[in-house]
Amino acid sequence: MEVALLIALSVCAIIAAYAAVRVVLEKRPLRKLPYLNVLSFAISGSLLLILPHPLSIVVAVAYFVGSTLESNAIASTYAGGIQKDG
Amino acid sequence: MLPDFLRILIAAPVCWILYITIDVYFKLPEQGGVSGATAIAKDIERGGGALHGGYMMGNIVSSPDASAGTLLASCGVTAAGIPGGLFAALLVYIGNRICYDPGYAGTTGAVVATFVVFGFTQIGFAASDFVAGMVIAILTIQGLSHSHASRLLATLWRWRS
Amino acid sequence: MDSLLVVIFGFIAVIGALTTAFNREPYIKLISMSMMIGGIFPFIVDRGFLDVAAATAVIAPISTIFILLICRKGEP
Repeated sequence: MEVALLIALSVCAIIAAYAAVRVVLEKRPLRKLPYLNVLSFAISGSLLLILPHPLSIVVAVAYFVGSTLESNAIASTYAGGIQKDG
Repeated sequence: MLPDFLRILIAAPVCWILYITIDVYFKLPEQGGVSGATAIAKDIERGGGALHGGYMMGNIVSSPDASAGTLLASCGVTAAGIPGGLFAALLVYIGNRICYDPGYAGTTGAVVATFVVFGFTQIGFAASDFVAGMVIAILTIQGLSHSHASRLLATLWRWRS
Repeated sequence: MDSLLVVIFGFIAVIGALTTAFNREPYIKLISMSMMIGGIFPFIVDRGFLDVAAATAVIAPISTIFILLICRKGEP
């Protein structure tokens, strides 16, 4: 593995660990969601840096959009029922 | 040829300026796009932040924006060059449509970031530096302090409007 | 994969699983379950199973959305 790729991967992994600790330490559920967003950014970046292959783009986008959709559903349900725009 | 850490530290402000500019230009801090984004903004405001910055952070959480476009386009350039970046832009547009969003900000961000990252690879940067730089850039907005970040974004929004 | 990465992603998966098990509030359980699945992904991709990873990435959020549809809060 190239050195530049390995350093970028280490940066992504360390930020993912930091975000995971912040998710656990935060008390309110709605305030956890931005930290969870940082975690999914870091993981979907490191997915591609682990295996740089064209099909990895599809996996990274699928993971990121899925995680975003999940956060959207959790936030709008927590805000009180599924309304007509969410 | 710069050393590796220095290249990542230069790539992070470039990504930061790119996605904040596109997000503020497409009026993301104006209102919450879906009800979840509005709820996150109200909760951040209750914790001591500003409302319009909270709207933008809620919109980044609940649909793929220019930040996601920048990250995924630099991933695409890492894997497959310019066609990979444009393919990532197409996938970001589809993901935006799934999340009930018009999808202008995400697609524009992905297309612009593809060419910016390709331009930086011509002068000695690696495309993987921009993946790490984008992760650092999103950490400064969403991960360090919600109240300070939302006040900063509200100041930028006041300049725009 | 480097041993530092194995430790970090394993830490994310384990801490997500423990929070899912021992926290009492249901929304925090769902958020921690999402974190646990995110920690598992790099191990799947590291072996080269990209199709398995793409299928899991689509199936996991949809199952969460069905859970939320079944047991959501009452109308305000």
